Amino acid sequence: MKQTLFVLLLLASLVLASCTPQPTPTAPPPEPEKVTVKETVVVKETLVVPPTPAPEGDVTVTFWHNYNETSPENEMLVGTLIPMFEKDHPGIKIQALSVTWQDFRRKLLTSISGGVAPDLIRADIIWVPELADQGALVALDEAMPDFEEFKEVVFPGPLSTNLWQGHYYGLPLDTNTKVWLYNEALYEAAGISSPPATMDEIEAQCQALKAAKPDAYYFAADGTFAWVTLPWIWSFGGAVTDPEVTTATGYLNGPDTVAAYEFLLKLFDQGCISPLILGNGVDLFLGFAQDMYANTDNGPWTYPMVESLVPGKLVSAAPFPAGKGGSIDVVGGEDVVLFKQSQHPEQAIEFIRFLLSPEYQMKMAEVGQIPVRIDLVDSDYFQSHPYYGYFLEQLKTSQSRTAHPKLTQMDEIIIDAGQFILRHEKTPQEALDEAAAQIDALLVE
Amino acid sequence: MTLNTIASRGQTRPRRFYNLFPLRLTRKGRNSLAAYAFLLPGMAFILMWLAYPMVNALRISLYDWQLMPGATSPFLGLGNYRAALADPIFWSSLANTTRYALVTVAGQLFFGLVVALALEGVRHARVAMRVLYYLPVVTSWVVVSLLFEYLFNSNPAGLVNQALVNTFHLVDKAIPWLNEPRTAFIALYALGIWKGVGWTMVIFLAALQALPEECFAAAAIDGADGKHMLIYITLPLLAPTIALVFVMLTIGAFQTYIPIALITGGGPIHRTDVMLSYMYSQAFTDLKFGYSAALSFILAGIVFAISQAQLRLTRREAHSLP
Repeated sequence: MKQTLFVLLLLASLVLASCTPQPTPTAPPPEPEKVTVKETVVVKETLVVPPTPAPEGDVTVTFWHNYNETSPENEMLVGTLIPMFEKDHPGIKIQALSVTWQDFRRKLLTSISGGVAPDLIRADIIWVPELADQGALVALDEAMPDFEEFKEVVFPGPLSTNLWQGHYYGLPLDTNTKVWLYNEALYEAAGISSPPATMDEIEAQCQALKAAKPDAYYFAADGTFAWVTLPWIWSFGGAVTDPEVTTATGYLNGPDTVAAYEFLLKLFDQGCISPLILGNGVDLFLGFAQDMYANTDNGPWTYPMVESLVPGKLVSAAPFPAGKGGSIDVVGGEDVVLFKQSQHPEQAIEFIRFLLSPEYQMKMAEVGQIPVRIDLVDSDYFQSHPYYGYFLEQLKTSQSRTAHPKLTQMDEIIIDAGQFILRHEKTPQEALDEAAAQIDALLVE
Repeated sequence: MTLNTIASRGQTRPRRFYNLFPLRLTRKGRNSLAAYAFLLPGMAFILMWLAYPMVNALRISLYDWQLMPGATSPFLGLGNYRAALADPIFWSSLANTTRYALVTVAGQLFFGLVVALALEGVRHARVAMRVLYYLPVVTSWVVVSLLFEYLFNSNPAGLVNQALVNTFHLVDKAIPWLNEPRTAFIALYALGIWKGVGWTMVIFLAALQALPEECFAAAAIDGADGKHMLIYITLPLLAPTIALVFVMLTIGAFQTYIPIALITGGGPIHRTDVMLSYMYSQAFTDLKFGYSAALSFILAGIVFAISQAQLRLTRREAHSLP
């Protein structure tokens, strides 16, 4: 019994150890001389797309995206656009796979490490430098002979999210930014005539709202991550790092960034910002729809979300309030990237060309995706659209997050700093000093 | 009908498979070969799904493991293990895991035993009662985690806050259960205990039914009441089962992941991270696969040591019971 239990225990413990994620089972053992700890050798060989002979049968290009399977975007993609492409390109089949956001990263990393990455994915813009740095992506500016043509027709901001160490590893597929969205019913109740044009107007407007509706919150956001805090930091004139992304010291803990966090802390302490920012509050869209939140800084998806909760509820938009640094919001969206493990790079690149075509971009715009082609902005569709204009206007000043492979880790540091500050566990200066030092350590790794 | 009787009746005796090989083996050798042949599928399974991943994970833990197949991974030796020992989040995750194990294992043992003892005496609807208690065990962790997240919601108030504020008027406003580490762990402990009680109940019920009746009959003749029988007969006889359940629950508690990932995500500020959630984030968020593998081996070592200590302790206590 004793021995059996011992063996059982040993096995159970070992099973626990063997459950570790194992990304690279096929990697060869390292060479003995590579004993230096700091030296990380990253494979960055350029993929040369070989001239492929005309396919004998159908070639299947796999394309992963995270549109919900029942979403209008997926219906448009699978029901209309892919058949359109396949009709024009006999011999190429597109296998579009919808992967949930929660599973996407794990599934993708596992596939890459197993050598079976998809041909193409619709990647979050912040993943591109990370995947490029890992050596997983094809530099499209080298593999696509007509890359320059596409580079010229897309917005430079979204395009810049594909740039890593002098090469473009993808093309923007759709873009978005956030704008100041306000609740006219609450504005009316509080006697606020218009949304704040500058940061200076916010505090007085909040007091007016609290006087009229003490239970309502002036502003709501659902976390302290960079996507939420960067517009405040940038509009106050602050930054996370220097433009060359070599240091955070003097930027993340600089006076302007500290002032942005002090302002947020003051608003939070006055009950102007919903506790949702710390994770404890009514859902952002529900609170807005039910007149609990007067303002939020959010994307175009807010409109259908609020409409689905309270049909007919009015969502009004304005530029993000300007501060010392101007009215700056953050660029979001997705890029399309090609993997080096692609079995059919030529056909995949042909599909990329289709994804960037005016037909594709226009059709996807009909289901809520803001296009990346500059020439479409002046089209009748966009000129007469009820709310895309606000986002396109804000895009003119919006900035991208730091293009760096360690961005995910930087974001974690920024999340924690925000939590420390709003929980009064550290002063803004203390929390940001620590965060800057942590990011500096990441940047030299 | 045995093979011998078939042969004795002049029928063709089926050839044993080892006779198909032109090897001249002794009887002992043939028996060994047969035994190994029977072991082969199981061994192959173990080697493929246990030994290979384990050895590979050990190898990974010694490198700054790169994601891409073919990429050179710098050798760090024990660097990842040293880094773990200097990592404050590793220690807080370990402390959280240990606390989770202590509370949920104790809770499952206690309530499992109580329910098993109570159900043993139930004469009516016995099966239905057992099914009811066992139902959480077979329910998906994902489903019950989301359910508990809803129950402990603070804004809008979930069922727990509704009861505390509106029904019993024990507090003035909803408690932000899931946003503060201390209160979040109350919800996580409650879920862990509630989900596991059914399993411990089933094990204890089976053990209770196997206890020798004569001990209880003799004790009854000597005038022992129910309380005495529980303390002096039932619990000592259950000691080996309690020890086994104790160890299995501890191993399970150290592997908790889904409720943490779904209910708190390890936040705020990593304060509800447990070892597995931290290990997962290190691998799939920060791409530190080598470090994550090292964490898994450290955890395996800790679990093994704790389980060994538990076994020795519970055996000693079982022997020292009156």
